[in-house]
Amino acid sequence: MSEISLVEVSKSFGAVKVIDNLSLSIEEGELMVFLGPSGSGKSTLLRMIAGLETIDDGKLLIGGEPSHDLAPGQRNVAMVFQNYALYPHMSVRENMEFGLKNIGLPKLEIEKRVMNAARILEMDGLLDRRPSQLSGGQRQRVAIGRAIVKQPAAFLFDEPLSNLDAALRVRTRVELSELHQKVKSTMIYVTHDQTEAMTLGDRIVILNDCKIEQIGTPMEVYNTPRTKFVAGFIGSPAMNFFKFELRQTKNGREAHLIDGTTIPINLEIDGDDIYELGIRPESVSVSQAPADCSGVVKVVERLGDRTLLYSELNDGSQIVAQDSGISDIRVGQNLNFRLDQERIHIFDKNGNNVLNK
Amino acid sequence: MYFFNAQKVNLIAGAITILTVLIAIIWAFPIYWGIVSSLKPEDEVVRPYIELWPDTLTFQHYWFALTETQIGRWYWNSIVTSLGVTVLTVATSMFAGYAISQLNFPFRRALYWLILASFMVPTQVLIINHFVLVADMGLINTWAGIILPQLISPVVIIVYKQFFDQVPKDFREAAVMDNASELRILFKVYIPMNWGVTTALSIVTFIWAWNSFLWPFLAVTKTEMMTITVGITQVNDAFGVYYARQLSAAVLAGFPVALAYLLFQRRVTEAITLSAGIKG
Amino acid sequence: MLRNHKKESLVALLLISPFLAIYGLIFVYPTIDMFFLSFQKAPLIGDGKWIGIDNYTRLERDRRFDTAMWNTAYFVALSVVPGTLIALFISIGVYRLSGRIQSLVLALFFLPYILPVSVVYRIWDWTLNFQFGIGMYLFDWLAMDRIPIFKVTGWFMPAVAFVTIWWTAGFSILLFLAGLRAIPAEIYEASALDNSSRWQTFRRITWPLLWPVTALVLTIQLILQLKIFDQVYLFSVGGRPNDNLVMVYYIFQRAFVNNDGGRAAAIAVVLFIIVVVVSVLNFQLLKFAERK
Repeated sequence: MSEISLVEVSKSFGAVKVIDNLSLSIEEGELMVFLGPSGSGKSTLLRMIAGLETIDDGKLLIGGEPSHDLAPGQRNVAMVFQNYALYPHMSVRENMEFGLKNIGLPKLEIEKRVMNAARILEMDGLLDRRPSQLSGGQRQRVAIGRAIVKQPAAFLFDEPLSNLDAALRVRTRVELSELHQKVKSTMIYVTHDQTEAMTLGDRIVILNDCKIEQIGTPMEVYNTPRTKFVAGFIGSPAMNFFKFELRQTKNGREAHLIDGTTIPINLEIDGDDIYELGIRPESVSVSQAPADCSGVVKVVERLGDRTLLYSELNDGSQIVAQDSGISDIRVGQNLNFRLDQERIHIFDKNGNNVLNK
Repeated sequence: MYFFNAQKVNLIAGAITILTVLIAIIWAFPIYWGIVSSLKPEDEVVRPYIELWPDTLTFQHYWFALTETQIGRWYWNSIVTSLGVTVLTVATSMFAGYAISQLNFPFRRALYWLILASFMVPTQVLIINHFVLVADMGLINTWAGIILPQLISPVVIIVYKQFFDQVPKDFREAAVMDNASELRILFKVYIPMNWGVTTALSIVTFIWAWNSFLWPFLAVTKTEMMTITVGITQVNDAFGVYYARQLSAAVLAGFPVALAYLLFQRRVTEAITLSAGIKG
Repeated sequence: MLRNHKKESLVALLLISPFLAIYGLIFVYPTIDMFFLSFQKAPLIGDGKWIGIDNYTRLERDRRFDTAMWNTAYFVALSVVPGTLIALFISIGVYRLSGRIQSLVLALFFLPYILPVSVVYRIWDWTLNFQFGIGMYLFDWLAMDRIPIFKVTGWFMPAVAFVTIWWTAGFSILLFLAGLRAIPAEIYEASALDNSSRWQTFRRITWPLLWPVTALVLTIQLILQLKIFDQVYLFSVGGRPNDNLVMVYYIFQRAFVNNDGGRAAAIAVVLFIIVVVVSVLNFQLLKFAERK
């Protein structure tokens, strides 16, 4: 039984229909990431589940129960806001107690839950402080604590790491993962950062322009992206894309890139048409002998564990290749590149992956 | 050449500073003079030369005012009516300001524009009808009668609305997710988060109510029900032409609000800049 | 946000009803009543007879109404612009101070504003007292005859305007100070490097940047002084009230002294309209100037 389901939901802002007939299921206990650029609708979907936005059409089921008509507080979900929204005039303890007092829980129960949450989040010493006396990371933990004490069916996170600095972000990411394992609750996590999505998610929903591009595990969306958008959004640095014309010659099928380079394609595609070839930098290697294409190195980025070579092919198009960390390639060198045939993706003019449906 | 210019600039700057301080002292002088005169015996006050400090420092006029006149009652009337105006104005404005700011209800915009429009209405033109109304309700010479027409203060409700508007939506959403009812959100979140505004508005409303003259003057015909602001001008026969005595009564009348200002200087200036911002 | 509209409207009603009740009772109802009363011949309290626009047409020939209008205009001219300019220049002086001296000086300028009008009246009635007032020495010093200021018609209005400016400047100074503080220091530094003289800096930089505040102060002062009553009434006691009438004083006189509610209401309506028109005009004028 799915813990949370959106069934054919639609939403309009005024006259503009932003979400149209969208369906999506989240399994019990999984950490589902809503990933996408700004404006993709990920926050809107989260807020629709929370009840902070209305669902104009369709159904929302939480734990099997229709919940789209319930008040936000009644849906058995808890939200961790991007800016934490901790009541500044209340202590940490009071912040966590507020929601429980509103529903009339007995004092003993409230006390128990607050203590429990404080223990899980290692916040015992902070309970009587005010939010203004806490650091960013501590405030975030209080925001999570406020959600934990509610003992909800699901946690909703709205870009929780975006207000933290880079180092803290990495640490907190790990903590959140540990939290998920400890608490074992369903979690929905909204972010625009694909690294967070890849590292935290059990599954990822990739959204673009309020439409679902793909739902899958991190490895699935990485290795078998369904659309060009997904392929380009996941992975850093981004996938290389080249438009090409497919021709049947005596050597077999060949992809004719615009610069005249010809790459033999050992794959079965129908029709002569304009396609786009996608290949990740780690699948573009440097070869001594002439291989699939060649170009001039413009920028070299040495990352320690690998070296990225931003190069320009003969027709001016860019390609990013990857070499080992101890590569001694320099700017200006002419290189030959080999494309790993096993790792080529081909997208039609609509952006759909024609190989891995 | 460069050197001289710098010197000249400093000279002028220094002159302006001294001038400003001097003007400030002259500006406040009449207040000083009033206080000093009230500390002199009557015969010294009318001496034909200037004495900046009393020859004989005396509190006799204050003693007289406090014991032989109705000033005690006037103080009490002022305190009760000013507190009444303050509490009622701030409370009703707070509730209504929250509703206009955060809730959706029919005619919400119309109400807001009505309040804005009432800014332009000078309450002085309503004195006739206020008097008739209060008289018809049998409230002439009562505290309620003094308080009632003074409850028009569109500034307070507009300030509250603006401040409530500025509370980030996140807090409201968090409170809603926390199952807080609308009233709980008002009392437990919005009001505590705007406590400074409430304090500032309360102090300023109190001072304004204490100082008001026209309406308390009209609403009261019996001297024992007068507020102190009105009383000190109306009861000339009790004082006759006793200048120092009259001044001591004036000092007693002005003292509480001056004290309130000196204690809460920051809040008062804050409230004033706020309310002026609204009018702009 | 998912909202229960009915419940929300109910809660809203609960919250605004105290305000509405009071507002309806002491604002909406009396305003409407005022209009109706102005078309009647009626005493202050009691029923009246409908007489149409008679009360208004009488105003044409009403000498006291004329006096009141002119005096009010005169008073406004004497107090609004001069008061604003004085406050402006004082605030520039205060702005250049700092620390405790600034706080002290500001308090000295602001203190009069905190006092009730009756206390202000007492202070100045004493200071400018014809027989014993310390202000009389000024006349001696200027080799003029001493004048009982508040009893002489020509001196009355200017004197009251003077006292009013003394009383209310603190408010304007506060606003100007806030406006001055909002001007970034870098602008002054840049003009200093441009060799701008004090006066040039004021004219080219301070004045334009301060204009929104100046306009605001002028507006507030204008609307405030149109409604003046307290000081004029108090200082007229024992003097010549009929010469010193201003609009609100005349309303008061007609209603509470002559017991003529209908005529007083008509004057009140006239003043009401004047204030509303001035407010709106003012608002539009400022908007226009802002766009320039």
